[in-house]
Amino acid sequence: MGIIEIKDLCYTYPQAENPAIKDINLTINKGEFILLTGPSGCGKTTFCRALNGLIPKFYNGEMTGQVIINGLDTADHSTSELSQHVGLIFQNPDNQIFALTVEKDIAFGLENLGKSKETMYKEIDWAADVTGIQGLRQRATHELSGGQKQRLTIASVLAMHPSIVVMDEPTSFLDPVGAEHIFDVLDQLNKELGITIIIIEHRIDIAAKYVDRIIVFDQGKVRSDGKPVDILSNEDTRLLGVGIPRILSLAKRFRDIDLFSPLPLTADKFYGDVLSRLPEKKGKIKNKLPFDLQELSGEHHHKPIIETKGLYFNYPGNVQALKGVDITIHQGDYVAIMGENGAGKTTLVKHFNGLLRPKEGEVFFEGEDISGKSVAQLARKIGLVFQNPDDQLFEENVEKEISFALRNFGVKEEVIEKRVNWSLNLLDINQYRLKSPFTLSGGERKRVALASVLAWDPDVLVLDEPTIGQDYGQKERLRHFLTQLRTQGKTVVIVTHDVEFVAESQPRIVLMAGGKVISEGTTKDIMINKDVLEKCSVAQPEITRLFSRLCDHGIPEDVVDVDEAYDILSRKLREVSA
Amino acid sequence: MSLLESLRFTRGDTVIHNLDPRVKFLMTLVFFSVSVLFLEIIPLFVVFIVQIPLVFIAEVFDEWFKSIKGAGFIALFIFVTNMISFYYFRSGDITWDLVEYSIALTMRFIVLVTSFSLFFITTSPDKLSLALEKAHIPYEFNFAFITAIRFVPVLADEAQTIMDAQRSRGLELDKGNFLTRIKNYIPILLPLIINSIRRSLELAEAMESRAFGATEDRTNLYELKMNNLDYIVLIISIGLLIIAFYSKLYLPSFPSLLGTGPVFS
Repeated sequence: MGIIEIKDLCYTYPQAENPAIKDINLTINKGEFILLTGPSGCGKTTFCRALNGLIPKFYNGEMTGQVIINGLDTADHSTSELSQHVGLIFQNPDNQIFALTVEKDIAFGLENLGKSKETMYKEIDWAADVTGIQGLRQRATHELSGGQKQRLTIASVLAMHPSIVVMDEPTSFLDPVGAEHIFDVLDQLNKELGITIIIIEHRIDIAAKYVDRIIVFDQGKVRSDGKPVDILSNEDTRLLGVGIPRILSLAKRFRDIDLFSPLPLTADKFYGDVLSRLPEKKGKIKNKLPFDLQELSGEHHHKPIIETKGLYFNYPGNVQALKGVDITIHQGDYVAIMGENGAGKTTLVKHFNGLLRPKEGEVFFEGEDISGKSVAQLARKIGLVFQNPDDQLFEENVEKEISFALRNFGVKEEVIEKRVNWSLNLLDINQYRLKSPFTLSGGERKRVALASVLAWDPDVLVLDEPTIGQDYGQKERLRHFLTQLRTQGKTVVIVTHDVEFVAESQPRIVLMAGGKVISEGTTKDIMINKDVLEKCSVAQPEITRLFSRLCDHGIPEDVVDVDEAYDILSRKLREVSA
Repeated sequence: MSLLESLRFTRGDTVIHNLDPRVKFLMTLVFFSVSVLFLEIIPLFVVFIVQIPLVFIAEVFDEWFKSIKGAGFIALFIFVTNMISFYYFRSGDITWDLVEYSIALTMRFIVLVTSFSLFFITTSPDKLSLALEKAHIPYEFNFAFITAIRFVPVLADEAQTIMDAQRSRGLELDKGNFLTRIKNYIPILLPLIINSIRRSLELAEAMESRAFGATEDRTNLYELKMNNLDYIVLIISIGLLIIAFYSKLYLPSFPSLLGTGPVFS
C-alpha cells in the first residue's frame, strides 16, 4: 500500500455546478518526487487541498471517495492532525508567514501542537539547516527576499516532520536561479530524507530534471500518469497545452534517426547521446550571418521613444534602487528587461510614465523631458500593465473595467464603445463582457487587465511579468499577441524572468543587477554570455546550454530556439554521416 | 502620521531592549503617573532628565527625536492655546506664572511622548504578545495583534501598487472637488478590500495546515523570565512612585521659577 491512496475521489465546491475533480484513483509511494501539471483550472490545486483534509473540511462542498494518508482516512482526522503527515505549502509565501521573526515562524506549527521548548529548538535547528536558512534565524520576516521567504515556508512545514510535502507553484515569484535553489532543497529532502514530494509547477523545464513521475490533470480528471520522458514525449500532453522541455522537443525531431533512447530531458544527456555522431573537437566558431538581420530590418534607425539618462532613485529609508541607469528604447523596439529579484527592473519602468520621479537624472519621451508632465498625460502614450491583475480590477463588469481608463482620459462615449469592442475582440474576451471580472479565472483576469490598457491604444506597452502563473498555452497566445502588436508599430517592453519565453520571442535584452544596467544586446548575444547572466541570476535557456557544449565541435554557440537548433544540428549530422 | 510612524519597533540589543516588557511597562507607567501628578516645571524636568540617558542607553536617539519632532507641532499648539485662553478668560494680563504654567503643560506632553515612544520603540511586538499572554489574554486576540503588525508592511506595499496601477490607467487622485476626490479613492479601496478578503482566506488555509488550534495547551518558543536587572528596575520604579506620591501629599509644593509678576510691565 502506498503512502497516499486515493479511491474514486470526486469533489464539488459549494455553489459550483460541476465537480472540480472527479474519478481520481491514485497510489503514491513513499519517496516519490511527483510533478502535477495540466492547463489552468484543471483541478490540480483542488487535489492538493484534498490531501490534508482542507477539502472538504475547510471548504465544505461535496466529496465522495476516499483519501488515505499514511493509513489515515482524511475523513476521520482533523487537518491539524494530518498536518504532521502532509505539509502543504501555498503559492504566495507572504500569506503563510505568521511570525515577525524567522525562528518564531518555524516554531508556529510546533507551538500549536504544544511541543516543549527543547523539542522546538531541536526541530528549528534541523529545519533551518536543511533549507539553508540557519543564518537568517533572528531576521525579521518582512525583510527577507522572495527566495528566502519561500525557504522559510518550507522550513516551517518541515519542522512538523511531515513524510509528505506538497507545494503549489512554489517558484512563481522567484528568478530562475532562485527557482533552481528551491528545487535543489526539495531534491535533497527527497533523496536524503526520503520525503515524498508532490509539486505543482508551470516551469516544466526545471521541474522535469528533478521529478520521477508526472501526473497530468485535465478537466478534473487524471489524464495521464507516468515517467517524465514518457509523459512529456506523448503528443497528447503537448496538445493539452503543457509546456514540453525544449530539449525534448528538439530530440523528438530526430526520432527517425534513432539517436536517443530514451529521449533526453536535459542538455547534458542530449549532449552525451549525440556525442558519438559529432566530429572531433574543434575550436569555437561564431554563427555569423552574412549581414546582420537586425540592421537590415532597420529597427535601430528608428528614433528613440524612451530614453533615460543617469537615473538614480532611492526608496524611503535610503534604499538605493537605481544607480545611474542609461537606456534608450527606439520606436517599434521589443525589449525585455531581465535580472534578479530586486535588481530595479520594476522601479525603472515606473519611471517611464512618471509614477516614480528620479532623484537624479532625466527621462525623455519622444525627445522631451517628462519632468513637467503628469502621470495621466504620460499614461496616454505609455501603457503600463502590472503583474497582478487583482491590483487593478474593481468594476462590476468587464466592459466597465475596460472603459475606466478611457473615461479618465475624457474620450467621447461613441469612441469609448468602439475602443471597448476593439480590445475585447483583440484579446478574445468578448464573451465575458457583462461578467464580473472577479468571477473569471486568473488567466482571464490577466487578459482583462491587458485589454483595459490596450483600449486607449498607447504607443508604448510595458508589461510587468506577463508570464507569471500562466500555463504554456496562455504564454504562446501572449507571444503571438505581442508579435501582432509589433507589426502595428507598437513599442513593447516586458519585464520578465522567463528565459524560455524570451528565447522564443527574441527581444533585445537589457540585463540589470543591483540597480544598474549590466549588459544590453540581442537575445543571442546575451544568452551566450554566461558570466554576465550569472551575475544577474538569469539562467541560460536549455537550448543555449546545449549549444554551449556543442560549440566545441564546430557548431555555432549562439542558438536559442528549437527551430534554429534543429536546422543547424541536422545539417551537421548529415555532413558527418556523409 | 509621522508621530505614529516613529513609534515603530526598532530592533536592537541593549539593556533597555532586553528589559522584561512588564517591567518596562511599569516603568513607563511610573513616568506617566509622575507627569500627571505634578504640574510644576521642576519635577517634570527631573523626569525628563532621567529619560534622556535611557534614550541614549537604548541607542534610539534618532527614532526618539523623530517622535519629538512629530509631536512638536502639538506641543507648540498646547503652549499657544493655553497662553491665549488664559489671557482672554482669566487674567487679561500675561504674567510669568502663566508662562510657567504653559511651559509645564508642554513639558508634560513631551515627557509623556518620550515615555511611550521609548517603550514602543524598544519593545518587540513578540515580547508584547508574550506579556499579553502572561496577562491571560486569550491567544486568539494575541494572534490577531501579531498578525495585524505582521501585515502592515505587506498591505502598505499593496496599496502603493494598486495606486500605481490605477494612476497608470489615468486616475487622477487630486482632481475635482471634495466629493469627487473621495470618489477617486474607490478604484483603490475596492481592490485593496477584495485582495484582503482573498488573503484572509489564504491565511486561514495556511493556519489550518499548520495545526492552528490543535491543542488548548499551546506552547511558546520564547518565555518571559525576570532577571536581576529586571528586579532592580522594578524596585527603583516602585520606589520613585512612592517618593513622588509622598512629596505630592506631604511636602510643600515646588517653588515657582519665574515669579508671578507681569511679563510686560
